[in-house]
Amino acid sequence: MNKRFIVKPELCTGCRSCELACSFTHAIDGVRSLTRINPIDGGFKDLWVPVTCLQCDDAACIKSCLVNALKRNPVTGAVELNHEVCVNCMACVAACPFGCAILDTQTNLIVKCDLCGGDPACAHFCPTKALVWELIKKAVKKTG
Amino acid sequence: MIHITINGKVVQAKDGEMLLTVIRREQIDIPTLCHHEAVEPSGACRLCMVEITKPSWDGWCDYVTSCLYPAEDGLIVNTHAPKVNELRSSILDMFLARHPKSPEIRQLAAEYGVMKTQFEEVVDGDNCILCGICTRICDTMGFKAISMVGRGHGKEVAPPLNMAPAACVGCLSCAKNCPTNYIEYNMKNGGLTIWKKDFEMIACTECGATTITKEFAEYLSVNRDIPFDYFEKCDACHRKELAGTMGRIANWDREARS
Repeated sequence: MNKRFIVKPELCTGCRSCELACSFTHAIDGVRSLTRINPIDGGFKDLWVPVTCLQCDDAACIKSCLVNALKRNPVTGAVELNHEVCVNCMACVAACPFGCAILDTQTNLIVKCDLCGGDPACAHFCPTKALVWELIKKAVKKTG
Repeated sequence: MIHITINGKVVQAKDGEMLLTVIRREQIDIPTLCHHEAVEPSGACRLCMVEITKPSWDGWCDYVTSCLYPAEDGLIVNTHAPKVNELRSSILDMFLARHPKSPEIRQLAAEYGVMKTQFEEVVDGDNCILCGICTRICDTMGFKAISMVGRGHGKEVAPPLNMAPAACVGCLSCAKNCPTNYIEYNMKNGGLTIWKKDFEMIACTECGATTITKEFAEYLSVNRDIPFDYFEKCDACHRKELAGTMGRIANWDREARS
């Protein structure tokens, strides 16, 4: 897929629309799930950073999973967690250096961003376009 | 691709795929206690029984555990035939006689109309149904710390020689996936005790929250090539750290623009 998810902290107002969109999009049987994206205070005035999975190339979560529940989706490039296979050993929660695999204490499932299978809901709901899901522009060779 | 009929609906399946996988994919609810997608099926609980038949069988049918029966072309499956429900309730009846105190078994039995067992209840029994989900998960994860010990009435899940298992790292996968929540563990004061073995939990260097045991982190860093300092902070503090780093970069950018 020639699309990418872009986070622009300078545009984020910390309104948490993305959290709501994420929670409701990943709801199971009408029960809201834990959000996979968290706007966190960046440490400066009026600066919020929406923290979500960076979908690392050499992902520690995939390496840490002993039952191969975490796999990269070849279409979206996102690391997806198969809840059917997951045995809740918490290895990925501990191994992720960015803390983006989180245990949902309500449902006792580990949650992580899967880019909503190729159409992130948070990007749709972000009012200031701090979260963008956009086409990658092809590099054009300058001529002349 | 082959075609099988489940409850009157023709569905596609891969050749050799287990029937239970196909049935679950069709969102049909079948009770199971010993099934987990991460491990090989074992057919221990017998609750996933289904009725199968084929046009060439002249009206005969068979009752098989769907978790262990590979899909074949032209198979006709009935997941909730009267005879199947009867089989399931008699299996649950026996489970209820063996484990009368288990809330999970009682609830499942009540769903199939078995409120009280017709057999004699085992008085001093435990809640282990010997499904082997814990041992299979432990084997799949590569620790092989616990196994089935003994046979007949004396069969139980235990570490070798009933001593603290050297191979156990305290990942708690056995306890968390036990269908009857039988496996006990104790987590307090930054420590964990399971299978009579004591573990030390890694406390977050910033907030003190604990996620996994030190042994499990050491296993992952040695065998899975993950730097050990990844395990030193909890997930919430890692997120804060990432926000701080990104915030500093965004702030430089903002100052450069103004």
